Amino acid sequence: MADRNPPEDRLDNLRSRVAKARGETSSTSQPPDSAASLAFRFGGEFGAAILVGALLGYGVDFFIHTSPWGLVAGLVLGFAAGVVNIVRVASAYNKANPPDPNAPRIPDDDD
Amino acid sequence: MSNDPIHQFHINPISPPIHLGAVDATFTNASLFMVAGVAVASGFMAWAMRSQALVPNRAQSVAEIGYGFIHGMVKDAAGEEGVKRFFPFVFTLFTFIFMANMLGMFPYWFAPTSQIIVTATMALMVFFTVLIIGIGKNGFKFLKLFVPSGVPIYILPFVVLIEIISFFSRPLSHAVRLWANVLAGHLVLKVFAGFVPMMAAAGGLVLVGSILPLTMTVALYALEFLVAFLQAYVFALLTCIYLNDALHPGH
Repeated sequence: MADRNPPEDRLDNLRSRVAKARGETSSTSQPPDSAASLAFRFGGEFGAAILVGALLGYGVDFFIHTSPWGLVAGLVLGFAAGVVNIVRVASAYNKANPPDPNAPRIPDDDD
Repeated sequence: MSNDPIHQFHINPISPPIHLGAVDATFTNASLFMVAGVAVASGFMAWAMRSQALVPNRAQSVAEIGYGFIHGMVKDAAGEEGVKRFFPFVFTLFTFIFMANMLGMFPYWFAPTSQIIVTATMALMVFFTVLIIGIGKNGFKFLKLFVPSGVPIYILPFVVLIEIISFFSRPLSHAVRLWANVLAGHLVLKVFAGFVPMMAAAGGLVLVGSILPLTMTVALYALEFLVAFLQAYVFALLTCIYLNDALHPGH
């Protein structure tokens, strides 16, 4: 046997070696998101924020009689919140699925 | 009737009317399939784990893999503390949605998750859990969720407003995603399946052509099984992400 470590050591790190062999890292349970489900998610997050923003603005109008300025402000803020939501989802997705560093470069207009 | 794609979502009472105060608690086909989902899920778990063997048989393996799958997901998204506090909740949500979706895949059966009131109730349960646990555990520090660090003071009011809207939009997008996926999937299935008898009845060359929608229906059915699992998974995963905010507010 080439391995000179005492047998206790081999048992000690057995768990980590098994985990490594199985390819387990911090996230073990994630099936990959399909492109369609991701697109659905973007749309849902964006639309929901606009709806909620408009609703909150309408509520403000209703209670302090500022119609239509509450609705206008709510729509604009809801739009901004929708963009924030999308950026959050996208950055979380990019963090979970880093781009392949060996992928071929895609030429853009500057090239 | 059988060609109407909306017909499958009709709620029909199957018991004499029950009224609890002002609440109409009549037992309907939706209630029946929700009860069936709970019964199948808990029945399977109890049956699979009856021997509690050290070396599991096949059924016990399925139960343990399902448990380990959700456990890993909660741990990844909300940490050890999340597992301690919320694992039963997330596991219940996942198994219920999964079973409801799967039972809904049987022809002529009913998918309770195609009703937005069902998904909205679950999304609001998560929303209020986040609010109550978040405020109970962190007190005023929970409000840091709405105040990102490192924002210049002159745009802070706008950012706080946007964060509040973003926070309140969560239950909506959470509920709509599951509901819309299940509803749209069942509608598309029914529409394509409805073409088959229509084209077959026309006879001649069109009868031969009816093989196309039939193939499409089979392919869509496979896709719907994937969606049934994936949407249960996504719902549970988002629940974990939101619950993590209750434990650790502030970005």
